[in-house]
Amino acid sequence: MFETFYPQLIGLCTGALLLTSALMVWRHSLLASIRLLALQGIALAALVAVIGIAEGEPELVLVSLLILSVKGVGLPWVLAHQSKASIKQIQESPRLNPTAALLAVTLLTILSYVVVSRVFGLGDTTTGHAAPIGLAMVLIGFLLLISRRRARSQLIGFLLLDNGIATIAFLTSGGVPILLEFAVSLDVLLVVLILHVFAGRMRTKFGGTAVDQLRELHD
Amino acid sequence: MTGIGAGLLLQLGLGALAVVSALMAAPSLRSRAGGILCTLIAVTGFVTGLAALLGATGGLLIPIALPMDPLLLAPDRLGGLFMLVVSGVGILVSLYSMSSTRGPDASRTAWVAMPVFLVGMQLVPAATDSVSFLLAWEIMTLGSTVLLLADHASRASVASAGIWYSAMSQLSFFFILAGFAVLAAASGGTSFANLQIESGSWPANVAFVLFLLGFGGKAELVPLHVWVPRVLPEAPSHVSAAMSGAMVKVGVYGGLLVCVRLLPDGPAWWGIAIMLIGGASALYGILQASVSSDLKVLLAYSTTENMGLVFLGLGASMLLRGYDATAAADAALVAALLLAVSHAAFKSTLFLGAGAIIHATGERNLDRLGGLGARMPVTAAAFGVASLGAAAIPITSGFVAEWMLLQSLIHGGRLDGAVVSVAASVAMPLAVAVIALTAGLALLTFVKAYGIAFLARPRSTAAADAHEVPPLMQLALALGALSVLALGLLPGPVAALVAHTVSPNPTAAVQSVGLGGVSLPGIGAVLDPIMLVVLSALVAIPVIVSIIVSARRHPHRTVDLPWGGGGSRARPRMQYTATSYAEPLVRVFDDVLRPSRDVQVTHVAESRYLVERVQVEQRVSDVFETRLYRPVLNLFQRYGIVVRQVANGSIHRYLSYSFVALLIVLIVVSL
Repeated sequence: MFETFYPQLIGLCTGALLLTSALMVWRHSLLASIRLLALQGIALAALVAVIGIAEGEPELVLVSLLILSVKGVGLPWVLAHQSKASIKQIQESPRLNPTAALLAVTLLTILSYVVVSRVFGLGDTTTGHAAPIGLAMVLIGFLLLISRRRARSQLIGFLLLDNGIATIAFLTSGGVPILLEFAVSLDVLLVVLILHVFAGRMRTKFGGTAVDQLRELHD
Repeated sequence: MTGIGAGLLLQLGLGALAVVSALMAAPSLRSRAGGILCTLIAVTGFVTGLAALLGATGGLLIPIALPMDPLLLAPDRLGGLFMLVVSGVGILVSLYSMSSTRGPDASRTAWVAMPVFLVGMQLVPAATDSVSFLLAWEIMTLGSTVLLLADHASRASVASAGIWYSAMSQLSFFFILAGFAVLAAASGGTSFANLQIESGSWPANVAFVLFLLGFGGKAELVPLHVWVPRVLPEAPSHVSAAMSGAMVKVGVYGGLLVCVRLLPDGPAWWGIAIMLIGGASALYGILQASVSSDLKVLLAYSTTENMGLVFLGLGASMLLRGYDATAAADAALVAALLLAVSHAAFKSTLFLGAGAIIHATGERNLDRLGGLGARMPVTAAAFGVASLGAAAIPITSGFVAEWMLLQSLIHGGRLDGAVVSVAASVAMPLAVAVIALTAGLALLTFVKAYGIAFLARPRSTAAADAHEVPPLMQLALALGALSVLALGLLPGPVAALVAHTVSPNPTAAVQSVGLGGVSLPGIGAVLDPIMLVVLSALVAIPVIVSIIVSARRHPHRTVDLPWGGGGSRARPRMQYTATSYAEPLVRVFDDVLRPSRDVQVTHVAESRYLVERVQVEQRVSDVFETRLYRPVLNLFQRYGIVVRQVANGSIHRYLSYSFVALLIVLIVVSL
């Protein structure tokens, strides 16, 4: 029963991951991006849970709970920790227009499929076939990092990149040891907290967090 | 431990003590304590160098854990000679600086840098391996840079000079390092004994060019001399004296180390290249010096001239040795060394004298000096003797060296039937012509320097109010002048000692004859300055006696000339100035010097036909700086602006670079 659904479930989860990534590039509202990030965290947790059940490893189910709590709930909550009214008004004015950005996402996805199939081979397993999604997420995260002006939007790009790395890890080798995963998740949480505080300080100091206006700092 | 080793260790210990004392001593005591300790360092170096020159052996082994040849400081005879020269200058400078330094020159930093500079210079000739050589070289450069920058806060030109000096020093160091690296790679060792490779091979040729660029830069040779006219005038005078008198000799030592020790018997083009560069430096240096009206710029360019002559001698000796004219080759080499020694004596005295003038008047522009002879008799006498040395007048050290160089070139040119290449047969007579021209121009230059500064009437109130400098400065000046005279009157023993440092058969090359005279048996030339003095006295005394007797017979009548003959109403402004004295020279060498003149005429308000005042300003810029360095610097600047666009501080741009790099890598690996 489960075996027949397994490939479809994997496809559903990875599809959700890719879709949320593309939508993050498309949407300009900060609040929408944070919600998409939360959705992506849930999709990643679901993916891990599915792999865990299929491989019969209860450890992975634990990890999926951890991911759900950190990436699905914790990080988005930290990012959105502001009154809903004000956060709704924050609009990103990205350096790439949406059409060009979506085109770039398409190209990056194709590129990651080409790279993975040429360099590593897609393999026979279901998870192996889905592995290029992870690389595509890493590249899209990078794209977000360089095309967003606001510090918090860039933070979202950074988190997307991190999600991509986690996805590759789970799809290719059934995840990293739980202790390592735990430590990395905490690290990411810590980084986000620090950057969040930092962005807050920037806002009070300079009146905004548009990173491209900070180039004078290098002198 | 041998005596040499103890001497080297003592220098290091005294250097450390001097640094500590500069840091701890109260400001009122700092100059005195620093000066005394620096004098002790220099005296120790002098004694150690003398012992090494006389043939004492021994050294100081510095234990290291690195996998290379051991670091050994053990001066040979040649190293001993240069240690002696450097520390001799060090003694003069230390005595002088004890009472000359004031303000920022006497700061804690400056007095820390002074012993560092001295110890570094004295240890370079002691090194017997490339690592300790480079180490001592960098210590020397570091000390001198800090000393130069002592006054950077109040004068912008000092900061600019500091940048030029640092850049050129690092360039020199880079070339020397690269030269040693090439030799070490080819030979597989780092000590001088292991570094020797066959002189004709291509690593040897590459290393030779690198060394020539590196040591040539330190020895102020054209076209690497551009730091000289900026740095030597801007540094405090005792530092200029140490740089020009001693540090430049370390550059000469480097040249000798390469051409005599590491890569002897090189191909003919090495000698010709060195002669070319030396000759060009000599001519260009003295031309610039002869038209300069800034006393310290004049002395700085004259240093380039003298070092050019030293390298001319070195190149000639290499060329002559290639044709087995050993006696002439040895004579040329000894002449080069004597010139280096005598330059150390007279140029440090001249710079100290210039420092005394600045100390007394605050001026170094010759056009605003004058009449200092009566006001500063000791300085005037010392500066005069040193000027005679710089102009290579008999009974001074400069004359002996240039005489010997000319002898070797004239007699060496015959070469006794050997088959000589065209280049060599042209080079020798040309070199003689170059020396003759520089000697003439040097005479003009120093007549100007002494005459305008010390004779005639003061051209400014500062010069009129001048007073003699403190006794310690006078002592240093007198010692310097005495050494110039001693080297000139007793060249024989000195030349014989110097010959031991470079010649395998010294007595065949140079001998001491008579009362300190010098003889070149291989060439058949003899010079005995004391006999010359006695002879000229024998000629001069009857003449003087007869003049006095005739003067007694016709008593002098004082006649009041009507209208004073034009002389009684002459004002100081009517005298020759340094600029007007050099004006004919500027005209003659207009094409080389390319001066820029600025004449401003102010008319009287009522009529354009009446002139109220005329102001003439003439600047002679350094051709190499404007034609060679400026374009290169501009290129770098343009490149720098472009690079600033690439890295403009935008974090998006930096991230984009990483992203693009990642994409390129991914595409390349998947192809």
